[in-house]
Amino acid sequence: MYRSSGSRVLESNVLRGLRAQALRSIFVANDPDIVISVKGLTKSYGNFEAVRGIDFEVRRGEVLALLGPNGAGKTTTVEILEGFHDRDSGEISVLGADPSHRDRELRAKIGIVLQACAVDPFLTVTEAITQRAGLYSNPRPVGEVVDLVGLEAKRRARIKTLSGGQQRRLDLGLALVGDPELIFLDEPTTGFDPSARRESWALVRGLCAEGRTVVLTTHYMDEAQALANSVTVIVAGKVVASGPPDTLGGRDRGETTVRFTLPSGVTVDDLPTPLGICPRVRHHAVEFSLPDATTFLHDLTGWAVARAETLEHLTVKRPSLEDVYLSLTGEVDELEELEE
Amino acid sequence: MNDLLIAKDQLRYEQKAYWRNPVAAVFTFMFPVVFLLVVGTGAGSGKIANSSLRYNQYLVVTMLVFGLISACYTNLGITLCIRRDSGVLKRIRGTPISIGSYVGGIIGSVVINVALITLLVVGIGMVGYNLHFPYHLAAAVITLLVGVLTFCALGLAVTAIVPNGEAAPAVINGTFFPVVFISGVFYPINNESVLSQIATFFPVRHLVKGLVGAFENGPGSGFQVRDILIMLIWAVGALVFGLRKFRWEPRHR
Repeated sequence: MYRSSGSRVLESNVLRGLRAQALRSIFVANDPDIVISVKGLTKSYGNFEAVRGIDFEVRRGEVLALLGPNGAGKTTTVEILEGFHDRDSGEISVLGADPSHRDRELRAKIGIVLQACAVDPFLTVTEAITQRAGLYSNPRPVGEVVDLVGLEAKRRARIKTLSGGQQRRLDLGLALVGDPELIFLDEPTTGFDPSARRESWALVRGLCAEGRTVVLTTHYMDEAQALANSVTVIVAGKVVASGPPDTLGGRDRGETTVRFTLPSGVTVDDLPTPLGICPRVRHHAVEFSLPDATTFLHDLTGWAVARAETLEHLTVKRPSLEDVYLSLTGEVDELEELEE
Repeated sequence: MNDLLIAKDQLRYEQKAYWRNPVAAVFTFMFPVVFLLVVGTGAGSGKIANSSLRYNQYLVVTMLVFGLISACYTNLGITLCIRRDSGVLKRIRGTPISIGSYVGGIIGSVVINVALITLLVVGIGMVGYNLHFPYHLAAAVITLLVGVLTFCALGLAVTAIVPNGEAAPAVINGTFFPVVFISGVFYPINNESVLSQIATFFPVRHLVKGLVGAFENGPGSGFQVRDILIMLIWAVGALVFGLRKFRWEPRHR
């Protein structure tokens, strides 16, 4: 009696679990807000394991930045999602479809900017965009795209006469002309001057505001910081950290660094050092790392004012995305030179 | 958008890009015309053994062969290699265009170029060198079409042995010129000669013989079935090899 009811309980628990799992998987598969889902993705080239089990999700309207050193597997991952390469194993879904099937319907909803500009050099800007527009059922107006990427003045220029940055902008225009829901940008602002980069960032923000989703690979930490809702760091084919750029790798909990130059005639022992904190000194430069610098700064500046000393080169720094990235990827620079 | 319209669009842009790139156009169009005018005029209208064609008339036919091979094998092969290595092909593959529309547009543009060079060269021959309108029109058209098929297939196949875009002109011209030279394109060769025996292995000689047959009259003229079949064997072999080895992307960096 006991046994049979127990096994019934067990059975119904298992069934309930299975049902919940099935529901969840239907829910996930049909959740229109999940634009990309990657689970356990692997890919090898010969003996080289380029991607060794990567998982992430991208939601609609989000910018996901994939960061990582060269050869970490970022481009391989992105190119599998774009449908250029088949995976070895893992589950992936892009806009609800499997990109390895290379459906035209899926390709029509995706815009791709590859690392190299790739357009016939003998066509003009307008011609290249017009031709590309012809491949989509609801393209954006060509003139609008030309304006969007800031190539109005180069409308009739042959592509081979454009500068590197202008060609990248044309690339972006070509990726956008099909009015895609999902856009892959592989190092999109390499070779841009600072103002062109800012303009591109504004463009990407505008795309997301319209509900489009962007997957960005970049080497510029300021770009990831400026654009991404979510950052995934890939090292040697694996995800080592992911999260919003402000909290990635415990960045929000990281210590604040206060640096300044020791006034002449003052030793470290004269400073109002908080209890249990040991400053690092090199020549005349002093560095304090502490969880909360508020009180210390108050004490320090109060001390300096009372003694009529000037704290030259005073800086207060929170860990930047780059600091976190470098420590995650094991590319930490040796203690920054503190001397003047 | 329907695939046929997209192919037509592709063809239009292929033609635009082609005529804006002087190197390819000069080689394919200027070379046969200039050679025909200079050598054809200089060498005159002497008789050729075992043929109803005069020497300059023979050159009209072989310069058509030269133009056709240049438009199909050389231009197509180099274009595909450069597009592959600069990432154009990869980029195209990421758009919703069908492979049929893209390839159709490219081949359509090649066919237009071959038609233009045919009109140009045969026109010069008929006006300047008393060349008769092909006695065997069907044979001429079919031989030309088989020639386009064969040398486009070879243009595709050669991309598999070209390592990168910069090497494309060297590899492609390096295989094109020697074969064209021994196949009787610049001067008539005796079928029994050693060169001709070697040339018989390659498809160029068969295109020359097929087209000469279509422009001649008298015994032995008309459809050169054997030559057409040998070209078709080359076409099938090149297509199978080319499609199997085709790469959309540059070799791994």
